[in-house]
Amino acid sequence: MKRITAIVATLFSLVVVFPILYTISASFFQYTDFTAIPARLLPTIPTISNYTRAFSESNLALFLSNSLFSALVGTAVRMTISIIGAYAFTFFTFRGKNLLFIIIVATMLLPTDALILENYTTIRALRLTDTYLGIISTTLLAPTHLFMLRQYFKTVSREYREAAVLEGCSDSRFLTTLLIPISQAVIITLAIHSFSTIFNDYLWPLLVTNRESMRTVQVGLTMLGFSENLDYGPQFAAITVLMTPILIIFIALHKPIQESVSSRFSGR
Amino acid sequence: MKLRYPNRIKPYLLIAPALFLAVLFSYRPFFLTLVNSFHTISLAGKRINFIGFDNYIRLFANPSFQASLSNTLRFTLFFVPTNIVICLSAALLSNRPGKLATLNQIFFFLPMAVGLSSTMMIIKMMFNPSIGIINQLLGLDIQWFNNRHAAMGLLVFAGVGLDIGLNFLLLISALRNVPSDLIEVATIEGASWAQTFRYLQAPMISSTLLFVVVTNIKDAMLISAPVMILTEGGPYRSTQTLVYQMYLEGFRSGNYAMGSTIATVVFALTFAILLLLLHLERRRVYYQ
Repeated sequence: MKRITAIVATLFSLVVVFPILYTISASFFQYTDFTAIPARLLPTIPTISNYTRAFSESNLALFLSNSLFSALVGTAVRMTISIIGAYAFTFFTFRGKNLLFIIIVATMLLPTDALILENYTTIRALRLTDTYLGIISTTLLAPTHLFMLRQYFKTVSREYREAAVLEGCSDSRFLTTLLIPISQAVIITLAIHSFSTIFNDYLWPLLVTNRESMRTVQVGLTMLGFSENLDYGPQFAAITVLMTPILIIFIALHKPIQESVSSRFSGR
Repeated sequence: MKLRYPNRIKPYLLIAPALFLAVLFSYRPFFLTLVNSFHTISLAGKRINFIGFDNYIRLFANPSFQASLSNTLRFTLFFVPTNIVICLSAALLSNRPGKLATLNQIFFFLPMAVGLSSTMMIIKMMFNPSIGIINQLLGLDIQWFNNRHAAMGLLVFAGVGLDIGLNFLLLISALRNVPSDLIEVATIEGASWAQTFRYLQAPMISSTLLFVVVTNIKDAMLISAPVMILTEGGPYRSTQTLVYQMYLEGFRSGNYAMGSTIATVVFALTFAILLLLLHLERRRVYYQ
């Protein structure tokens, strides 16, 4: 029974991972390998020309740098806004605190995809189309992050901050020398999540960028012009370039990733 | 130490950016969308006349919208059970000790590392009817993009490909929290595999399962980007979904009022699902 489970599980997992393995393999195919009969799973003679063509015949490198830049800046701003907001909601008492907290967190209930018509109008009115600020604008508020950071900050005793303030420690020093270091694990998890959310966004960047030079890689990847001509090699190569770093990170960090998911949701 | 701002104002300054963004990019567009759905809108996006429910009446009589609504519901109906069965069996099968099991688990969550548009482009190329690997390898001759049923199936497949990684992780971490000695005792006492799942594991992962089901329903109702990249709503609108039609009306046809009306319908549907979740959560029995 145990052996059967192991065999079934392994075959099943191979089916699930097959598209990824095939993509990597096909990125080394020659043009004729795609039309060979019977179908090929491995290249006859591996070639790297798909990779050179993916970069030389398209703006892949530019798209990639646009995405990396907007995701990095977006993550930094998003984390800052979440951290200072959660800090205020945890360590201060002020009028309307609960109501304001609910107002911010309740934005979770509004599906962003259904808001794009009006948000696009706003961005166009602010003349922010085809700018990095326009690309990241709608992702800067992360109500889930603010919520989770507040949950975490609550476990830090308020007496720490009171003592620190009495000793003449400023809020910014308390944040940078105490609160952020002890919340490191949560902050890193949320930052990784933010980065991948902004990096992988498709619909919004598609709308707010018209110029090719501002296109993000998720949008650009679908418009490289290779797959339309059934020229699959360079397209698979571009996808492999994009996914390999993340695959390596996921395989290397599979334990902490699994643990962060279980701790995030078992505490619900 | 002098405080730069009096303590009374400071918390408001700290939450100001979050509040500003919430109003600018969530509440304001939400209310404007609602208001617009009751007006005629000029091509420049200005409200002209208040027309009550006319947009809704016109929308529900529109064959294209009827197609979108029924496609979205059909997609949800096919996708959610398929995805749950696949992700749950993956989690149950790989929830065992050993190196091979760890490798199985890594394979099951790896699709999460591939972004949305990469996943869609991979599927698009693998399912190409003439030179794609799927038809060639399995000896099929299915016109994946020109046959209504095949295109819907393809979309379901794409949805599973997008969600399997995270859903698998959620389910397996819930299964791990079921104490292994309980399962051992059950096995020794002669409980079958099905009984162990039905009476032991299922109740204990019920809250995670409910969460996965509800987020799946919500994702399915809102599906748009996979449609955009894979099928563009075709063939003959058979995969045109609500949010995709909203995009077409608002950005391609310049029919802003219709777009806003569809968006409002989408809001109503997602709220209904969230209410359902709250209702189920309250009724849920805790086995702890």
